[in-house]
This record gives sequence, structure tokens and C-alpha cells, in this order.
Amino acid sequence: MPQPELPLTGGCQCGAVRYALSMAPVGVHLCHCRMCQKAVAGPFAVICPVLKSEFKLTRGEMSHFYSSDVARRGFCNQCGTPLTFEYPDAEDIGILGGTLDDPSAAPPVVQHGNESRVSWYGEIAHLPGNRPTYADNPQMLARISGSNHQHPDHETAVWPPVSHPGAEA
Amino acid sequence: MTGALTGGCQCGAVRFRAGRLGGAAICHCRMCQKAFGGFFGPLVSGYEVVWTRGAPSYFQSSDRFHRGFCAACGTPLTYERLGRGADEPVELAIGALDDPRLAPPSRQVRYAGRLPFFDCLTALPARSAEDEARLAAAPPISFQHPDHDTAEWPGPGHDEGSHV
Repeated sequence: MPQPELPLTGGCQCGAVRYALSMAPVGVHLCHCRMCQKAVAGPFAVICPVLKSEFKLTRGEMSHFYSSDVARRGFCNQCGTPLTFEYPDAEDIGILGGTLDDPSAAPPVVQHGNESRVSWYGEIAHLPGNRPTYADNPQMLARISGSNHQHPDHETAVWPPVSHPGAEA
Repeated sequence: MTGALTGGCQCGAVRFRAGRLGGAAICHCRMCQKAFGGFFGPLVSGYEVVWTRGAPSYFQSSDRFHRGFCAACGTPLTYERLGRGADEPVELAIGALDDPRLAPPSRQVRYAGRLPFFDCLTALPARSAEDEARLAAAPPISFQHPDHDTAEWPGPGHDEGSHV
């Protein structure tokens, strides 16, 4: 696989917390454990391990929830985006894949916590749905696109801007 | 997992109950990806939703929608239209349900936003059974709220879950 250009940047939805990775994640995995499911409110978490020395916050601070006596999970307390999973004593930290500005830069290679996969997991790639959302309602699409408050998928000097750019809801 | 239409955040500060569930989908838009920190947003329509403990905080992700989350632990909880009518459903994050099996997604939306490796996820190799067993043999003490309603929380023991 080609190595991504470094640093890899990312952050939360609102942009209050931003980070940079100076190494490509190694051993990216889906974790189906019930703790990860509930933490991200989905069928699995996407964990992108990097050395803590190669992970730097470039804006704001994370809040943490200690989900057990050995692990904690970082998130943005302004918008709720789950950002990290880590064992405080470990050398590495797991970045949640969807928070990368380019999640395709860290493809997963293995699955963990497989005993608690949700019952419908095996079907997700086969679900119908190839019509763009709001294809029949361009006015709605334009209104959402014109008012997107999500931080853009790149670094910004100042955030939030006077007017929010963007393209989705 | 309980089969009840209840759910909440990881730490248990925010809990909800739904009267019934409607359609479920996974959304590949970049907004859902980033809000959930994942590859897609898993959402199910919840009718007659009541907050039974605490209440979500909100981030207004556009002029028409805001997203509910737990300010104490960060768990994403809802995607809601601003000015939503009383009989209009709340889009609930499927994994926040105590039993996510009750909301199997039936469709994909914002299909064009699928990440390049999405179609191959289910075919990824699993961690070895030996490694899984070794980890399960020495489980940490979980502080996650159990997958059912509780009279008090935090409770006397955090005994749910064998993971971290």
C-alpha cells in the first residue's frame, strides 16, 4: 500500500479539537466489542494506532472518559465527536478513523472483538442505496451545503470562520 | 442486551426510551463520518423518544440539523431536524441502543460518500481466537453503563462487559 503523505491531520466535527500525526497508523482495525460500539454509538469503532510521540494536538484539548480501569477515550466536549482510545500506560494511542481529514489514508487490516459483532454486520455492504440523498430535492441540498457548520477536512488558521463553508448536513 | 427500546451513552449520564423504532440506515456522508468518528453514521428513526436520565448536549451541524451527544463521555446520540414536530421521529444512533440488533439497517444513504474500502470490511480477517481468549481471560473493570436501565448510576459495581 502506498504510504500517505505526512503529517496526517484530523479533528472533531466542530473543529474545536484538531490533531496531527507524524506517522502513518499501523495495524488499523475495526473493534466490535460492546464498549467500542457504545462509545461510538455504532456497530464498531475504527482504531488507528500511532505512537503517542507522533500524535500532537494542534488546537484545543480533548476531554476523557475512563471506560474501564485501564483505558480512556478522548472526545470533544463541544460537539461530542469520539477522537481516541488509549491505555494511558501504553506507548501508542488509537485515533478514531472517521476523524482523520482523509479516512481513506488509513484502511483497516483486521477485526477485533468479533464475539460481539452485531447480528446484521455481515449485510452492511449489500444494503440497497445508490441514489444520492436529496437527489429529488436540490433546494434542500443547496440549503444544507450553504450552511454546513462542520470543520473542513484540512487545517484552518482560525475557527469558526465568520461564515461556515461546507457541503453536507 | 435487553430487547427493550432503551439506550444511552457509554457512561450512562444520558438515557432514553423509544416507543417504537422506524426505518434504519447507514449514512456515508462526511458529516456523519466525522460526527461518529467512523466510516458511516448508523441511524434509526425513534418515535415517542423520552430522555429518562439527563439530556443530550447539541452541536448544530448545519442550519437545519443538530446532533445530540453526551457532554460527559462524548457518545453520539441523535441527529435531529431543528424545529422538529412532536410527532416527528428522532434519528437515534443505533449503537447507543441497549440492543442494536433491534435496528438492522435496511438501506445506505449518501452512497457516493462510501470510503474506498467499505465494501471489503466484512471480509477482513479476524483477530485470532487465541488472542481473543487471552484478552478475555483477564478482563479489566468496565465503567460502561450496562445495557439496561438502572435505578441509580454509577452503581455499586461496574460488572458489564469484558472489554475496555
